[in-house]
Amino acid sequence: MIHVDNLVKEYKRPVRKEGLFSGIRTLLSRDFAVKRAVDGISFHIEPGELVGYIGPNGAGKSTSIKMLTGILVPTSGRIEVNGLAPHKQRKEYTRQIGVVFGQKTQLWWDVPVIDSLRLLKDIYKVSDAEFKRNMELFSDLLDLHEFQHTPVRQLSLGQRMRADLAGALIHTPRILFLDEPTIGVDVVAKERLRNFIKEINRERKVTVLLTTHDMRDIEKLCTRMMIIDHGQMIYDGSVEQIREKYGRHRTLVVQFEREIPEFSAPNAECLKSVGGKLWFRFDRLATTPSELIAYISARYPIVDLAVEEPEIEDMVRTIYGGSEARGKEA
Amino acid sequence: MRIFWSFARQAFQNTAIYRFDYWLQLVSVFLMMYSVHWIWTSLYSQHPAAFGVNVAQMVTYGILGMALEAIFNPGQGPQTYIATQLKSGGIDTDLAKPLDFHLHMLARNVGEILFRFGTLVLPSALIGGAFLGLQLPASPVAAGLFAVSLLLGYLALFALNFLLGMVAVITLDIRSISWAYSSLVRFFSGQMVPLWLFPGFLGALANVLPFRSIYAIPISIYIGKLNGSAALEALIFQSVWVVALFIVGRLAWSGVHTRLVVQGG
Amino acid sequence: MEELRIYMKLIRISMRSRLQYRADFITGIISVLVLNAVNLGLIGILVHRFSQLHGWTIWDLVFLYSMFVLSHSLYSLLFWHFNMMDTYIAQGTFDQFLIRPISPLIQFLGREIQYIGIGDILVGVAAFSLAYSNKGLHWQAWQWLFFTVAILSGTMIEMSIRWMIASTAFWLGRSLSLANIMNRFNLLVQQYPIDIFGTWFQVVVTVIPISFLNYYPSLVLLGKANDGTWLRFLPPMVAIVSISAATLVWRAGIRRYASSGS
Repeated sequence: MIHVDNLVKEYKRPVRKEGLFSGIRTLLSRDFAVKRAVDGISFHIEPGELVGYIGPNGAGKSTSIKMLTGILVPTSGRIEVNGLAPHKQRKEYTRQIGVVFGQKTQLWWDVPVIDSLRLLKDIYKVSDAEFKRNMELFSDLLDLHEFQHTPVRQLSLGQRMRADLAGALIHTPRILFLDEPTIGVDVVAKERLRNFIKEINRERKVTVLLTTHDMRDIEKLCTRMMIIDHGQMIYDGSVEQIREKYGRHRTLVVQFEREIPEFSAPNAECLKSVGGKLWFRFDRLATTPSELIAYISARYPIVDLAVEEPEIEDMVRTIYGGSEARGKEA
Repeated sequence: MRIFWSFARQAFQNTAIYRFDYWLQLVSVFLMMYSVHWIWTSLYSQHPAAFGVNVAQMVTYGILGMALEAIFNPGQGPQTYIATQLKSGGIDTDLAKPLDFHLHMLARNVGEILFRFGTLVLPSALIGGAFLGLQLPASPVAAGLFAVSLLLGYLALFALNFLLGMVAVITLDIRSISWAYSSLVRFFSGQMVPLWLFPGFLGALANVLPFRSIYAIPISIYIGKLNGSAALEALIFQSVWVVALFIVGRLAWSGVHTRLVVQGG
Repeated sequence: MEELRIYMKLIRISMRSRLQYRADFITGIISVLVLNAVNLGLIGILVHRFSQLHGWTIWDLVFLYSMFVLSHSLYSLLFWHFNMMDTYIAQGTFDQFLIRPISPLIQFLGREIQYIGIGDILVGVAAFSLAYSNKGLHWQAWQWLFFTVAILSGTMIEMSIRWMIASTAFWLGRSLSLANIMNRFNLLVQQYPIDIFGTWFQVVVTVIPISFLNYYPSLVLLGKANDGTWLRFLPPMVAIVSISAATLVWRAGIRRYASSGS
């Protein structure tokens, strides 16, 4: 469905000089620096996939999304979505995609949501029957009817995001691009947005590519995750795989009868100790919890214990950290 | 006053980003100075004695009126900042600052004005002097009084703009009000046409309103139309209005502060 | 045409949005009236001391002014939103026009009807009527026709210039200062016959054809041109050239936006 080959985007940006007099100098002359925002990315997305696209700020996520939605033209490389080149066949292409930018609404600020949706109906030439069917769906899953007569400017952020999702889906697109759809939204509203995205993906077979900073979005929604940093793809695979690759470490938390000094076990280091509670970090390929427990219980009496799995967020941080180090070397 | 300095630096940096924009502003001023030069030359060629001063003085008046626009702009100032902050909701961070709001607005504006004076007013005055017949002040005394009058004129405009900013707090949008406001200020401050040419009632009205503090008094002093005791009286007129407008501004602010509605969030 | 139909719908939404700010509507109209009163007042003060300016009487000047305002009124009603272009580009909100299957221009212009144009229409009609009766004009059909064509051409000319200026924001990020320079030219051309300025100025406002809004048509209609026949056909031709040029600049700008993103 989405084919991206060796995608590159370069920007020319003026170099801003610091200080008062250099400020005057910039009035007269200016230096430019070329920045590679996206540096040779390739991937394929199959129909019906729900893919998370993540990376630290400035990694090149937004630039990629803008190229995929046809707003920006790639410097080099190829994008083909559903047989179309987004930028070249823009009008045709835009009918097949839905886009939500979490930071700014695509709807008309001062008029009721329903008016915006009716206008989009005309813009996309959506038939009455299709419009009705979609509106029913939005009422069911997004409770759109609760606030469809309210102007967008009076909506809460969660409601606004729901309205924006409705706007992006009113023409029944086959592909949905979501740029930070849960940003700034409270926990309950986030859950609701996630359920809706999942539902749309499952029932309508809509292919979804979403960027986010909230790893829980990825955990709850995506089967596949792509991580980019410094414009390069540093991970593309299933969320499960990433657990295996970067989640080899577990933490064994042991509560002892009394306070004891910190100590290390074979293949496990002690991370911290608080009031008779010790945290041991171990590689589950190097040792097993039972070996470890056997070793520890032979020394001190144990009251309670638990094995903690790493949060996906920590794993991703490890991955970013690795690429950060590489970026500095380069 | 570190605070003025830091705002001036900010203005420097903002301008440096849009450097082409800066050159265009200079071009714009030059264009206006050029056309004012022609309007007066053309009028004087028909009626050399109809305007109460000689053509060199009048051309100087007109050119100065345009060159000072960069710092005497009734369309830009604390009111535009207040209006933007109200819309974006940023006003509550301004209110949270451990800084008197009135003073904060003044500091922010002074910083910008100093910058604009250096980068726009001075260069355009030089161009006006070199090519368009802008003359030096009538006398050293006139130059000194002009400087004082210019400062008072600035303070008067700031105070008026601040009051318009207070209106923004109530109406939340001052875009269209400020058009009427700017054109009235320009008219009654004698930016384009000196007030002594205004007929009967209009002239009398312009003479009591505070607006003539802004262009008319400083420039009239500069060209020597106002001198001696008349110049001093004019300075007193300016000072009285500045004090009055600042008092009104503070009263308005304390009234408005309480009913401040922050939009968005 | 499909796009025109969508444009009308967009405009309807924009008007509904504006109507929520009724106070602003009224202050807007009043502001326009004040603004024009001030402009005319300044000319009045300059000219009342003697009967004319470079061969133009006060009513000639009012006529000149009214032609400009009439053309300008239609421009500001329909196309004023060009002045907001750079804000869209600076804030990245221009993106929204590129993800819909309708031309970005239609979507952009459909965002706002600037009702203050109504104020301009009022002023223009009033000033024109006063000038017409005070000058004791009695036009024939061809003069009315020329007048109408000239007003509409003027609207298109100003629209094209503003459109081009707005498009420069694709390269410069900001077009406010350029727009301000334009406002200056406007004000001067609107109030004064351009022959009082130096040659340099006359050339500029003829090349940037703002003087075709009022000066050249007025020469024809007030019988000030030695041989005005060829001048009669000029305004619509200038309008067509301007629109074509603006279209090219706009297209180049859109391409530039797509490759730089800001």
